[in-house]
Amino acid sequence: MTSAAVQGVKRLFQKLKRPLLESLLAIIIGLIIGAILMAIFGYDPIAAYSALLIGSLGSFDGICESLANATPLMLTGLTFAIGVKSGYFNVGAEGQAYLGAIGAIMIGSTIHLPYGVHLAIATLFAMLMGALWSLPVSALKAWRGVHEVVSTIMLNWIALFFVRYLIEYHFYEPGRAERAMPVLPTARYQVLGASLTTVIFVALAFMLFAYFLLWRTTLGYELRLTGSNPEAARYIGINSTRVIFLNFFLGGLAAGLAGATQVLGRPPAWTIYKTLGNVMNLGFDGIGAALIGRNHPIGIIFASILLGVLSYGAKFMMYLGVDPDLARAINGAIIIALSLPELYRIIRRLIVGRGAE
Amino acid sequence: MRRNTSAITKTAAIIIAIIIIVAGVGGFLYWWTRLGPAAPRKIKIAVVSDIGGRGDLSFNDMAFKGGEEAERDFGVEMIELISKTEADYVPNLETAAKDPDVKLIVGVGFLLSDALVKVAMKYPDKNFAGIDTYAQSIVKDKYPDKYPLPNLMDIKFEEHKGSALVGAIGCLLAAYYNEKGGNYPYIGGVFGIEIPVLWKFEIGYKWGCDWALKWYEKKFGHKAPIIGEDSRYGSGPNWKDGMYCPPETPGKCWYKGRVLWTYTGTFSDITKGYEAAKPMYAKGAIAVYNIAGPLGLGINRAVKEIAEAKGLEMGPPFWIGVDADQDWINPGFVIVSMIKRVDRGVYYATKLTIEGKFREAVKKYEGVMTLGIGTKILGIPMEGISASTLKDLDEFVKMGINAEKLTGKKVLPMPPEEIKAKVKKMRESVAPWIWEAAKELEEKIRKGEVEVPCVFTKEKIDYWRKILG
Repeated sequence: MTSAAVQGVKRLFQKLKRPLLESLLAIIIGLIIGAILMAIFGYDPIAAYSALLIGSLGSFDGICESLANATPLMLTGLTFAIGVKSGYFNVGAEGQAYLGAIGAIMIGSTIHLPYGVHLAIATLFAMLMGALWSLPVSALKAWRGVHEVVSTIMLNWIALFFVRYLIEYHFYEPGRAERAMPVLPTARYQVLGASLTTVIFVALAFMLFAYFLLWRTTLGYELRLTGSNPEAARYIGINSTRVIFLNFFLGGLAAGLAGATQVLGRPPAWTIYKTLGNVMNLGFDGIGAALIGRNHPIGIIFASILLGVLSYGAKFMMYLGVDPDLARAINGAIIIALSLPELYRIIRRLIVGRGAE
Repeated sequence: MRRNTSAITKTAAIIIAIIIIVAGVGGFLYWWTRLGPAAPRKIKIAVVSDIGGRGDLSFNDMAFKGGEEAERDFGVEMIELISKTEADYVPNLETAAKDPDVKLIVGVGFLLSDALVKVAMKYPDKNFAGIDTYAQSIVKDKYPDKYPLPNLMDIKFEEHKGSALVGAIGCLLAAYYNEKGGNYPYIGGVFGIEIPVLWKFEIGYKWGCDWALKWYEKKFGHKAPIIGEDSRYGSGPNWKDGMYCPPETPGKCWYKGRVLWTYTGTFSDITKGYEAAKPMYAKGAIAVYNIAGPLGLGINRAVKEIAEAKGLEMGPPFWIGVDADQDWINPGFVIVSMIKRVDRGVYYATKLTIEGKFREAVKKYEGVMTLGIGTKILGIPMEGISASTLKDLDEFVKMGINAEKLTGKKVLPMPPEEIKAKVKKMRESVAPWIWEAAKELEEKIRKGEVEVPCVFTKEKIDYWRKILG
């Protein structure tokens, strides 16, 4: 019994050793590049890094804020990861998150329902809105062969202006030109501390659901097989149209939920601004989370937390006088270093795959 | 093959380990040498920008300028925190509040109102000030038992007085060009969403025009040509020589209907600014006042179109800037700007904090410090409204140069010297008495000899629209 457990842990460790070591190395390289950047511009790297860590992890509030930053990223990361697992390069999380956010506003701030029910319906509706925005991508891919990168990027822009239009003309807060109506108190997740709310548990549950779906069900197997070996998948009769729709739909649900987290689960605004500033770039930052997390739901959770810590901690670097753009560049260096191994794998697979055809 | 890669990995690992050790030791030594004797700690103030950030040539740049002036005069240290998105407001304010040396935290712009309330309640021992915010009224709504928060100050500006100044300049400009044979019966105003704050601008502007036309009549002994005398503005029982003498104000007559005004219903759709301004210029408005933020660029487009069609180097037509000095945007075509001195707001909030009077002022004014013309806070004159001057232009051009360095984007429409020369030439091309009249009005407001109506209720706006059009 115990020896089996020990064996299991050993095996797990063996399996994780390489990715863990790689990631550790990547973090260190990223930190060094960041330090060099700071030294070049005349800042004190050690003071800046300790400010980053103490600020984001040194207090309860800091930890909460970092986790609150991480929450939407794990979901948009998942959107990208499901795409990669099924062999598609889905960069549509950005626009789908906008749709999710406005979906949450539609239900959350206009309809009166009891607590709990209201929250659940608003959350589900937001997810559906995100998923709805993925349908054109799937349809174009399945029936017209349009590459998903093209269609998702175009739809991101359409989503941006469409949602801005909806806010400006239909869901604006009277007397406050700059934002949409905040959701009613019955459609708000409980605050745990700072701007972290219970919505993080919903996000985590969705991550686990995705993990279960991908690795423990036939559907998930079909997705992964299509991703890793499309020829074999076709040979054994997997319906590729279904895989396309399922993959983008699941991704849309995750991205829609990511948008909802910023509305139903993020004080103090509980709404979106017309600039979409508080949902902007969630989709693209999620790609970073997916690459760092090796496109694995569990890996992405940890990767998102790291990104949350970095982005919140960057404010404290800024506070020491580090130029905000430089602070972001340092974060960028760390993120790039971390995503390189997975990026390398994806690119190599793309090239090798091409060569085999 | 396998052995090969592992050898490469090993070499790479060793190299990286060496780099890490060297960097670590170097960093430690660097840090160690910097630990000198502890200097006496400076009091710090923190300025948290809204999403415009540095280089907006408006509120944020002005706030940082005020902080720099406070650094110079009071020996404090300013910390700048830039908000990239709306989600940054609370964390930025909190980051500043956590520093024990920071005594005052300033949030720039009304967007930070909610965030200021939240953080000010959490850190009761720090002073918070908001530029153009309405944080205390949020407190009043949500937490009436805590109103007013003792450590929170909204800094507001008397926009009605500034609008009166530019309204006066606008109508005198029309009078001057009509003297020279022009046909300018109106001035115009393009507004954003109809909210009570904008009523202050609207009535102030119309009132300023009325004051100016009366001033003209008194100075030159006759009514201003066209804009002062024409019958197009109205006729009937209460009208006399182009003036409206309503029963509400017995014995007093007003220059009604001289201002064309439109509420566009947006603060962001620049095209609507263009669409609203175009017919105003077509009807003969000599200048259009921008009271809708970015819609000014739409007004500017309408002006540019006319200028190109007619081959003009300089107005008329003109437009009038708002909030910041916007004279540089289209030199020669922006006659003047109504400036809210955000820099003074930051400066005075720092002054009150340093002198330990911040909370006294909060208590006395229920958390709202109003800066304008002739305003005093705790008996000390503190002003915050002005019509733009050439000196202001210098400062804003300097900000523009910095913004270009900062963002690498072109901000200024032409070389700085050319901007200054053009604006100077434009100002000199109109009669000096226009500027003298504006000075006189400012002085009268300061001394309390005239009172600009301050309108923010439905009843009052209806009343004044009836009188002034």
